[in-house]
Amino acid sequence: MTDREVFLDYLAAKSGRPRHQLKDHPMVPVNDLPESTLSGHTQDELLEIARKNAPAVHVDFQTTDKAGLPATLNEFIAAKADGRLMLPTYDENYQAFGLEAWRDTLDPKPSFWVPGAGREANIDTANHSEAAIGFADFLCAESCTITAPTTPGQGRAFHFLPVHYLSIIRKSKIVPRTRQAMDYYEPALKSGELKTSNINFITGTSSTGDIEMVLVVGVHGPLDMTYLVVEDM
Amino acid sequence: MSNTQMDDTLFKRTGKKTGTMLQYGDPDFVKRVEINEKDKFAHKAISNAQDAQWVKRETARAELGNWEGWRDLGEQIRQQCVRYLPDYLEEFSDNVEKRGGHVFFAQTDVEARDFITDLVKKKQAHKIVKPKSMVTSEIGLDKALLKIPDVKVTETDLAEFILELDHWDEPSHLVFPALHKNRDEVQKLFQKIGYTGDNDPQHEARFSRKVLRERFLEADMSITGCNFAVADQGMVNIVTNEGNADLSMSIAPTQVVVMGMERIVPTLREAETMDNMLVRSAVGSKLTSYCSFVSPKLPDEADGPEDFYVVIVDNGRSNALGTEFEPILQCIRCASCLNVCPIYRNIGGKGYGSIYPGPIGVVLSPLLQGDYDEFHDLPYACSLCSACTATCPVKIPLHELILKHREVEMNDKHMGDLIADTVMKVVGMGTGHSSLFRTALTFDHVAMNTIAKKGVKDSSGKRVPDTAKNLDENGKHEEWMPFVFGGWTKVRDLPEPPAHSKNFRTWFNDRKTKQYKAAGNDVEFNKEQAKILAQNPNTPDFGSYDNSVSARKAAKNGTTEPAPLSDATVPVALGSIEEAGTGNYGKKD
Repeated sequence: MTDREVFLDYLAAKSGRPRHQLKDHPMVPVNDLPESTLSGHTQDELLEIARKNAPAVHVDFQTTDKAGLPATLNEFIAAKADGRLMLPTYDENYQAFGLEAWRDTLDPKPSFWVPGAGREANIDTANHSEAAIGFADFLCAESCTITAPTTPGQGRAFHFLPVHYLSIIRKSKIVPRTRQAMDYYEPALKSGELKTSNINFITGTSSTGDIEMVLVVGVHGPLDMTYLVVEDM
Repeated sequence: MSNTQMDDTLFKRTGKKTGTMLQYGDPDFVKRVEINEKDKFAHKAISNAQDAQWVKRETARAELGNWEGWRDLGEQIRQQCVRYLPDYLEEFSDNVEKRGGHVFFAQTDVEARDFITDLVKKKQAHKIVKPKSMVTSEIGLDKALLKIPDVKVTETDLAEFILELDHWDEPSHLVFPALHKNRDEVQKLFQKIGYTGDNDPQHEARFSRKVLRERFLEADMSITGCNFAVADQGMVNIVTNEGNADLSMSIAPTQVVVMGMERIVPTLREAETMDNMLVRSAVGSKLTSYCSFVSPKLPDEADGPEDFYVVIVDNGRSNALGTEFEPILQCIRCASCLNVCPIYRNIGGKGYGSIYPGPIGVVLSPLLQGDYDEFHDLPYACSLCSACTATCPVKIPLHELILKHREVEMNDKHMGDLIADTVMKVVGMGTGHSSLFRTALTFDHVAMNTIAKKGVKDSSGKRVPDTAKNLDENGKHEEWMPFVFGGWTKVRDLPEPPAHSKNFRTWFNDRKTKQYKAAGNDVEFNKEQAKILAQNPNTPDFGSYDNSVSARKAAKNGTTEPAPLSDATVPVALGSIEEAGTGNYGKKD
C-alpha cells in the first residue's frame, strides 16, 4: 500500500494545489434548496404529503392515536406475525408511547433484540422472526422515508431480516425532507448526544428491477412495510 | 491544447501502471460492436430501459423542482471535493480511525487487490458477500478472490448474482448490470443451483432471496463499494434498493470498503443532497429503499462490522487532476448519461469493452489507464449530441471532454492513421480552396450517379420505394461507397447529390438574381417568389405553402392575396442590448 502522506502529497502535486487549504475555503452552498424545498408546511400538511407519497414506495400508511396504538399493533401482529414477533429493547420509547403494559402482556410472547446478547443470538432471532415492530426517529414526508439509528436495543439487522415490518412514528417528528433529519443527526453525532455507528434511512420495502426491469417488491429485506403514525404525539 | 493533458500520468511519474483490469471482450472495437449488434434482446432491453428511465427520471426531477438550481449545488459540492481532495481524504481517514476503523491508500489496482486478498488470507475469511460495486470490478477483485483456496465469493445484488452464475459475465450498465439478460436466461442460470420454477421475475427473485439469505447468514466478510465517504464523520454512505448491502454489512463481522478516491463529501448534509440527486438521476425515485451511513460497530451494539477497513483507490483518477479532464472526477455514477446516449442505445454496454460504458466510460477509461492504447476508439463512439452533458446532475461537460480526448489523440499523440490523415488532408484542401470546392460541387452528381440506387430492398430482397423522399427529385441514394467512405453507407444511406443545375447554390443564385431584378415591384417580386417555390420538388406533396412574412400576415388578416412586403413587416436590425428594454426590439423607428 502507499503511505498516506505520499498518496496525498502526490494528489496535491498533480493538481498543482497545495494541501491544507480547506480552513480558508470551507464549503458554502450556492443555494438553500435542500432546506427551502417543501418548507413552510404544518404537521397536518406534512402528514398528508407523507400519506400521499406512501403508495409509490409500497408502504401501508396508517394513523392512530396513543390510546388506539396497542389495538392497531395487535391487528398487525394478528395479520403478519404468525406467532413470531420481534421487538426492540427500547424502554424510553415503550414508556413514551404507553406501550409497556401492552409489551408485557403480549401472547404469544415476542422475541427481543437484546443488548449484550451478542451478534449471533440477535441475528438468529431476527432471521426467524416473521414480523418486527420498530421505532423511527423521523418520517420524511417528501420521500416517505423513516430514519433509525442503530442502538444497543434496536440493531441493524432488526430492520432487514424479519419478513414483515412496522415502524412507529410520532406525528410531531414528521419533517419535510431528509435534510431536516440530517440537520438533527449531524450536530447530535458531533456533540456526542447521539452515539451510534450507523443510521438507516429506509424508504418502503426492498425492491428490484434487475430482471427485465420488472419491478419485484420484497427482495432481501422485508416483503412489506407499514408506517404507523401516532397523531397525538 | 496543452501537451501535458495525458503526458503527466501516475505511470510516467512513478512507473506504476494503472487501469489494468478495465478492458474486456474483443480488443477490436468494430468486432465488439458487430458481436453486440447480433444481440437483439439486449438492444431492445436497452431501448426500453432508456425510454422508461427518461420518463421516471424527468418526472422525479420535475417533482423536486428547480432542477437547474440543484445541478448548480451538486456541481459546487463535487467541485469543492475535487479541489480540496487531499484535505478531505485526510479528514476522512482521521475520522475513520477515530471510530476504530483502518484506512489504506492504493495508487494502483494491483495495490488495492493485493491488500484485500492478503487481508482475506490473514483474517482466514472463507465466505465473502459483495454488494454491487463498480470499483471492485475496476480493480479485478472477484477474479483475484476466487483464486484463493477455500474462499467462496457471492455477489448479493440480484443482477450481479445473475452475472456471477453466468461465469462472472461482465456488467453492461452501471445501475442495471444484467440488462442484457432476459428472464429465460435467468431461469436457466438459476436452474444450475436448484431452481425449479418458471420464468416469472417475481418467482426468480424470491428464489434468489432464499439462496442469498443463507449466504448472508454464513458470511464472515463483506466487501462493499461506497457511494459517498463522509469526511467529517468518518462514515460511509451506501445506497441500495434491495437491502443486500445492509444485510452484508450487518451480519459479517469484517467489512472492507473499497472507494474511488473522489467519492467523498464534506459532511452528512452534502451526502444527503447528493443521495437525493443520485437516486433521482439513476432510477427516477426520490430515494432508494435503503440509504445507510455506516462505520465500525460500537462496543454495546450487537451487529455491524467489528473490523472495518477502507481502501481508497487512485488507479489513474489522479491523471485527470490539474488537467482539463478534472471535471470527470465530479461523477457520482448515476449512469443517467448512459440512459440518454444514442450510441449506448445502439452498441450496448459491451460494445465499449470497458467496465465503464457510455459517455462516462468514454471519458474515464483512457484516463484511468493513462494512455489510449486500449481505448483509443472510444472517444469516437459519440455523436457529440451533448445529451449526456445536459442530463448530468453534477454538470460534467461530458461531450466537451470526449471532444478533448479526440484533440489529444490527434494533435498531441498523432494517433490518426494514414487513411484518416489522407482523407482529412484531401477534405481540407477541397474545402480550403473555393475553386476546388466549386469543381467538386459541379461533378459530385455525375461521379456518384453511377452507383446511386432508387428505393430500398425489403426483407425479400425486392426493391421498394423509399418511405422518405430526398430533396433531390431523383430520389436516389448511395447504399455502397468504396474505401473509407463505406463506413458511412454501411450503417445509413447517403442522399445522392443533386445535379449541378438543381443544387442549392444554383437555386440560391437564381433566386437572388431574380429577386434583385424584381426589387421595387411587389407584384413581380411575388410572382417570382411563387415560381421559385414551385420549383421545390417537395412543394406538390405539401401544397403551396408560403411561409413568408407577407403570407402569414395575410392569413392572419383574413385576406386571400398575400400582402406585399412593406416597411412595417420587414425586420430591421435587432438593436442593442440597451434598446431591448425599451420595447423597440425589432421595430423600425
